[in-house]
Amino acid sequence: MTYQHLIVERHGPVGWLINDRPDVRNAMNSAMRDEFADAWSELDADPAVRVIVHTGNGRDFQTGVDVSELASDGIGMERYRQSMEDFDVHFTSWHQGVWKPVITAVNGICCGGGFHWVADADIVIAASDAQFFDPHTSVGQVVAVEAIGLIKKMPVEAVMRMAFLGKYERMSAQRAYELGMISEVVDPPDSLRDRAQELGETIARNSPAAMAATKKALWGALEEGLTDACKQGAKHLVSMWGHPDQTEGPSAFADKREPDWKPLQ
Amino acid sequence: MNYQALEVLRDGPVGWLIFDRPESGNAIDARMFTEFEAAWRELDDDPKIRAIVNTGNGDCFQTGLDVKQLANDPEALRSSSRQTRDFTLRITSWHCGVRKPVLAAVNGVCAGGGLHFVADADLVIAADNATFLDPHVSIGQVSAFETIGLLKKAPMETVSRMALLGAHERLNAERARQLGIVSEVVPQAALRQRAAELATSIAERDPDLLRLSKQMHWNALEVP
Repeated sequence: MTYQHLIVERHGPVGWLINDRPDVRNAMNSAMRDEFADAWSELDADPAVRVIVHTGNGRDFQTGVDVSELASDGIGMERYRQSMEDFDVHFTSWHQGVWKPVITAVNGICCGGGFHWVADADIVIAASDAQFFDPHTSVGQVVAVEAIGLIKKMPVEAVMRMAFLGKYERMSAQRAYELGMISEVVDPPDSLRDRAQELGETIARNSPAAMAATKKALWGALEEGLTDACKQGAKHLVSMWGHPDQTEGPSAFADKREPDWKPLQ
Repeated sequence: MNYQALEVLRDGPVGWLIFDRPESGNAIDARMFTEFEAAWRELDDDPKIRAIVNTGNGDCFQTGLDVKQLANDPEALRSSSRQTRDFTLRITSWHCGVRKPVLAAVNGVCAGGGLHFVADADLVIAADNATFLDPHVSIGQVSAFETIGLLKKAPMETVSRMALLGAHERLNAERARQLGIVSEVVPQAALRQRAAELATSIAERDPDLLRLSKQMHWNALEVP
């Protein structure tokens, strides 16, 4: 498939989804929103892709919805409003039910709607000069879906502070690391993609089927209390029983060789 | 009761539940698997015991199911499979409904199923050489209960990273402390002494209040 606002690449087992509107700091217009849905599905459907990295071209990662388009295009605004009201959205890996591991690699600024891809990734790393803030309330908008996703995954105070301070304060990559919002600060910043690729290749050494079931168990757990989450986790755990990877893993370990995993169905 | 794969000790008001298969990284074999419930129950039911410390003998804290050993014991394997499928496991204090405060003292490697005992403890401290990893997906297995328990209590990204990187990365004790997975890191040689101090201090509080507090905190995790 060809995309106008995204770049989709493959490097070994790692699929790359790259925001490509650098002239507007990768803000998401209506066309880009539609392309996200296709790009996630394309990478998810490709058995050669075992891990997906998401980053941005240019100086910044993502700065949310392209407000200038919303303001100038009545149809786009209406469509966006309706999709959010119905929560019928398809622009992150979580929205699209991608069960391959997803690494978000934040370059430069990640603000507002950009947090969707921080909240919805499995692993988040950032360049040492990355900055995080949520300007919604500074421009008369409500902070909602992105912040709800973050609150489920990290200390709430930090999320509330970003919501209420809006564009008047930025969180550094270092602070995001301290809070467990991200797990790695990459320095120098221009080595971010190399590190993301390396991390992706490491994860690609693990069983694709076991990782998919694990992901389902973990993300499902956000929807439930502890005991119910464990009960639904048991279903995902049991779903792997009898899968060839369950015997291949231990025998490869015993033989001290790399396992030969079955590709995801 | 006599245990083969666990040690159960008492020191004043503090009960100790110690993994005791140091030659196998304290991995859970069929015996340990069946001894857990009785050990937790014994300490929880003993009116003289007011706090419980859980740690391991040797270099490792706990490295999860000893799958090789279990495979030789079809009855134990069936039982562990059934308890996994139905989520009726009885290996941690939470599974066994222990009402007293439980402090995990992580004395070294804590891998895979070992994370159960971190997720399900009330307090966790660690030796400075302790490491945490979840190798399940590197050997074709699914990670669920341990990581679900952890993600209810710690930043999720840390947990999903650990689950997806498998055997290829370890979280060190200091980073676990920063993230609030453990609350104290002490030199390895001082770990048991520090655990005893903390448990003794906790044991001085009103046991009814401790029991109610524990119950309320864990109940809060039952809300989505």
